[in-house]
Amino acid sequence: MRTPLIRLVAAVAGATVLAAGCGSGAGPSAPGKSEITLWQQKFTDQEDAWYKKAVAAFNRSQDKVVLKHVIVPADTWDQKMRSAQAAGKAPDVYTVNYSKVPGFARTGVIQALDPLIPADKWAGLQEPVLASVEHDGKKYGYPMLVEPSAVLFYRKDLFAQAGLDPERPPATWQELIDYGRKLTTKDVAGVVTAANQIDLAWSTWGLQWNAAGHLPISDDWSAPRAADPAYKQLLQVYQTLYQQGIMPKQPLAPYADANPLGQGKTAMMVCGSWAASVLLQDYPKLVGQIGAAALPSFDGDATKPTATLGGWTLVVDAKSRDARASAGFVSWLLAEDTTLLVEFFKNTKFSKYSPRAAVAEAIAKDPAAAENPWAKTIEERVVRYAKAEPAYDWAVSLAFGKAVEKALQGKDIDEALRAADAEIKELIAKNDLAGQGS
Amino acid sequence: MAVTSLRATRARPRAGARPRPRRENRVAFVMLAPLLALLGVFVVWPLLHAVYISFFTWSFYDPAVFVGLRNYLNVLTDVEFVNSVTRGLLFSAIVVPAQVTIAFVFANLVKSVSRRMATVMKVTIYVPAVISEVIAAIVFALIYTHRGGLLNWFLDFFGIEAIPWLGDTVTALPAIAVPAIWIGMGVASLIMLAGLLDIPETYYECASLDGAGPWTKMFRITLPLMKNVILFLLITGFAASLQFLILPLLMTQGGPVNSTNLPNLFILQHFTTDLYVGYSIAAALLLFAVLGTVSAIIFRLVRSEKAMDA
Repeated sequence: MRTPLIRLVAAVAGATVLAAGCGSGAGPSAPGKSEITLWQQKFTDQEDAWYKKAVAAFNRSQDKVVLKHVIVPADTWDQKMRSAQAAGKAPDVYTVNYSKVPGFARTGVIQALDPLIPADKWAGLQEPVLASVEHDGKKYGYPMLVEPSAVLFYRKDLFAQAGLDPERPPATWQELIDYGRKLTTKDVAGVVTAANQIDLAWSTWGLQWNAAGHLPISDDWSAPRAADPAYKQLLQVYQTLYQQGIMPKQPLAPYADANPLGQGKTAMMVCGSWAASVLLQDYPKLVGQIGAAALPSFDGDATKPTATLGGWTLVVDAKSRDARASAGFVSWLLAEDTTLLVEFFKNTKFSKYSPRAAVAEAIAKDPAAAENPWAKTIEERVVRYAKAEPAYDWAVSLAFGKAVEKALQGKDIDEALRAADAEIKELIAKNDLAGQGS
Repeated sequence: MAVTSLRATRARPRAGARPRPRRENRVAFVMLAPLLALLGVFVVWPLLHAVYISFFTWSFYDPAVFVGLRNYLNVLTDVEFVNSVTRGLLFSAIVVPAQVTIAFVFANLVKSVSRRMATVMKVTIYVPAVISEVIAAIVFALIYTHRGGLLNWFLDFFGIEAIPWLGDTVTALPAIAVPAIWIGMGVASLIMLAGLLDIPETYYECASLDGAGPWTKMFRITLPLMKNVILFLLITGFAASLQFLILPLLMTQGGPVNSTNLPNLFILQHFTTDLYVGYSIAAALLLFAVLGTVSAIIFRLVRSEKAMDA
C-alpha cells in the first residue's frame, strides 16, 4: 500500500514542479510593483543579447514595474501567440513586423499608443515608416528599425573566376540571368533567392512595385490587380532562373538566411540587408570578396523601388494588464535616450537603419559604421527608393507568391496570374476588404 | 453444437437464482464514470463548443458576431481546402495500402523464421515507431537534399541526374509518403503478426492434408481470419495518415505550389495567420466529418464480423 501512495505523492509533486516549470518562470513579483511581460521573437544572438541587456537596464532604471523577458523562436511564434491569446495570457508588449500592425489594429488585438506616449516623443520619425504603423489616424506601434527586403549580394572572387568583372554587378535582369548561367557549376548555384510561396510572397513586394508600379490589389483593397500583364516579366525572370537551373531546384536555406553565400554555395544571393550582419559576424575573412548592389529594375530605371522597407516595432496588447507601464517601456526603449539604440545598430553591424532622426544622426557620427562596407550602397541605391510594406491581409500576398511559385515550377504564367487575380477577388469578398485600404 | 448449447445455457438465468441486472448496471456505471467524465470534459464539451463558435466570426479580442453558416460556406467554396482534402485522401491511398501490405509480408516473414531471428526482426521494424516525426522529417529531408543528398548520391552511380525530390510538384507528395509509411510500419507489423499467430496451426495442417497450396491457404485461411485485424489497420492507418502534420510542415511547408499541403497543415496555416478564427474551426469540423465518413465507408466495404473460429 505504501509504494503506490509514495508514487502518487511523487506524481503530484512532479506535476506541480512541471506546471511551475511550464509557466513564465517568473517568481512572485515584488510587492507594490506591476509586472509586465515582453515577448521578443528570436533574432540573431547579438540582437537577443541586446534585448536582454535592455530589459535589465529598464528594470534597474525604475522601481515601479518589473519587466519579464521571453525569447520565442520564429517558427513557433504564431502557435505560441495564438495559444496565449486563447488562454487570455498574451504578453503585454511584443515585437511585430510592420506589415502586421494595421491588421492587428483593425481587429482590436493591439491598442493605440498615442494616448499613452506623449506627442513630442513621436517627433523625428520618418513619415512613410510612421504611416505603416497607423490605422484610422492612430499610431499602434513605435518603429524601431527598417531593413530593405531585397538586396543583391555577390561573391567577387567567383565573378573573377568566371571571367566577370567583380566591380560590375548585373544591371539588368537579362544580365543577371547571363551572369548566373556563367557562374553556375555543379557545386555552386548561380543565384539563390526565395523559392517557395511564403518567401516569394513578401520578398517580391519591391519587385511587384517595380514591374507594374502597383501591388496586386487596388489601393482601397476593393479590386484585384494581379492580372496586370506588367507582372509577366517578373514571373518570367523567376521561371527562367529556376527552369535553367541557375537557382537551386531545392532551396539551400530559407530566404532570410545569408549563409549559402558565405559558405560558397552560391555566387549571387538575393537577401535582406540583415545579411550584412551575418556576413560580417560569421565570415569576416570574406568581407572584401563580397559586393552588394540593388536588384535590377525591369525597365532599367534605377530610381524605381526594388525592395520594401520591412522592420520591427513594439506593440502593446489590447488586453495588457498594465497598458501604461507597457507603453512606458516602449517609450523608454525607443523614444528617449539614443545610447542603447545606437548600440543595437552597432551590434548588428549597421545592417539595419533607424527611422528616427536622432538615432540615425548618432549612427552617422559613429566611426564604427565604416565596418559595414555595403551600408552606403544599400542606403543610397535601395533604401532611398524602397516602398513601405503593404498593410493588406497576408493571404493577398500569399496568393501572388503562389503565382510566382507556379511560374517557377514551369506552369503557364498568364494562367498563374489569372488564378492569383481570382483568388484575391475571392479574398476581398470573403473578408470584406473593399474600402479598408488607404 | 456442444458449444452452442453451453452458451445458450449460460445465457439463461439459472432456476431459483435472483436476477440482479440493476445492481450490475450500477457497478458498470460507477466503473465507467471516471472515463465518461474525462471523455465529456476533454472530448464532448470541446467538440460541442467548437461547433457552437464555428457559427461566429470571432477573434480573441473583438466581440463574436453570429454569421450562421458563412464560415462553412467559405471553407466549402475554397478550392484550396477541397484540394487539401483530396490531396490528403490521395496521400492516404499511397500510405495505408503500402503500410498494410508491407506489414503483412513482414509478419509472414517473421512467423517463418527462427525465434531469435524473429526477435531481431521485430525490434528492427519497431524502431521507427519510437522515433519522433520531427527526427524522421529531418533525416528524410537530408536524404532528399538535391545537391549532396544521400538518394541523389546513390542515383549518381547509375548515371541518373539529381532529382529535386522535395522541390518538384510531381515527386514531393510521394517523397513525404515514404517516411509516413516508415513511421507506421512497426506498429502495423506487430499487430499483423499478433493476428497471424492467433490462427491455429491445425487449420493449415488440415488444408495441407486436403492438398491446398500456399496461395490457397493465404486466400482461404489467412486473409479471412485476418479480416478484423486488416480492418483495424485500415481505419487507424487512414485516420492517422489523413492527419499528418509534422512531415509536410518541416519538410516542405506544404509546397511546392501546395502539392504537399495536407488538411491539418492547411488548417494550421489558417489558424495561425487568419485574423479571425471561425474559418479554421469550420475547416477542422469539416475535416472531422470527412474522416468519419470515410471510416464509415471502409467499415461498410470491409464488414467487421466475428472470425470464423470465434
